[in-house]
Amino acid sequence: MTRAALILLVATLLVACVPPRKYDWNNYDASLYQYYKDPTSGEKFRVGMEAHFKQLEAKGQKPAPGLYAELGTLYLEGGDRATAATYYAKERDAWPESRYLMDTMLQSLEKSPKERPRK
Amino acid sequence: MKTWLSLAALVSACTLGGCATPKPPYDFTEFNKAPPRSILVVPVVNRSLDVDASNYVLSTLTIPLAELGYYVFPVNTVKVVLEQEGLYEPEQVRRMEPSQLAALFGADAVLYVTIKRWDAQYVVISTTVTVEFDYEMTHKNGPKIWAANKQMQYTPQNQQQQGGGLAVLIAAAITAAATRIAPNYLPLTQQANQQVFMVESTKLPPGPYAPPQK
Repeated sequence: MTRAALILLVATLLVACVPPRKYDWNNYDASLYQYYKDPTSGEKFRVGMEAHFKQLEAKGQKPAPGLYAELGTLYLEGGDRATAATYYAKERDAWPESRYLMDTMLQSLEKSPKERPRK
Repeated sequence: MKTWLSLAALVSACTLGGCATPKPPYDFTEFNKAPPRSILVVPVVNRSLDVDASNYVLSTLTIPLAELGYYVFPVNTVKVVLEQEGLYEPEQVRRMEPSQLAALFGADAVLYVTIKRWDAQYVVISTTVTVEFDYEMTHKNGPKIWAANKQMQYTPQNQQQQGGGLAVLIAAAITAAATRIAPNYLPLTQQANQQVFMVESTKLPPGPYAPPQK
């Protein structure tokens, strides 16, 4: 057997061993890591998530827990409070466990317009 | 002959014993008293010298816990909210009452992770990368319901010396994945998480969104 064939065989076995994931994460961990490493990658992170959500929503599926809210926070940090609120509301409606936090965030967005300092 | 047989028996007993790792089962009594639906993962306390390690580890914790079926609060959103509350340092968050934290976010449980080691040691031709984490989960009312510790080490140069089929390929795959993201730390961190959450005796029971168990 050639070396290439052996590598292919082992690779297939390795792939077969990995259990399928429950959610499609669209590289959330790597993107978040990249965002911490280089905050200017936030725009790419945001665009990637939006495209991912569109795809899932077209299939009638919801994103993994927390992702709507993470996108909301990226908008909030970019100063777009209205779009942030849209995604916080989506998170709340998708995951009942997030309701308390999302409602709190939505209320604080309504109450204190604009003057919250950006970091 | 008899001596040989008993020697062989002894050797195989030792070998088998080595495989079985007869650890006592983890006690989930506290956890199961009020199993959480949602887990709040707070910023990671860093006792290493790498100032970036805390954020990097934070980015690896969501997926394994959510895959187990728990609602995991969005870690970056949580971090930003805590910062808005004036809590910039993970140590400050660690000193808060878990019940106060859980109430702030409406969480059932709080997961604290501490980085104990995160280093690469260069010795002549080989590099050993080591990560070590303490994990602790508390119930929203305060009591500790779960804890684990994991150390993982990785020495890429070993692959040349030990040279054997699968191990080499796995090591090569890890190296490749590692260089794509960061020098070795992230795959090790992911493996450590995987081990304590999903594999070893500390593995967590399935959460509310897990597929029904058969």
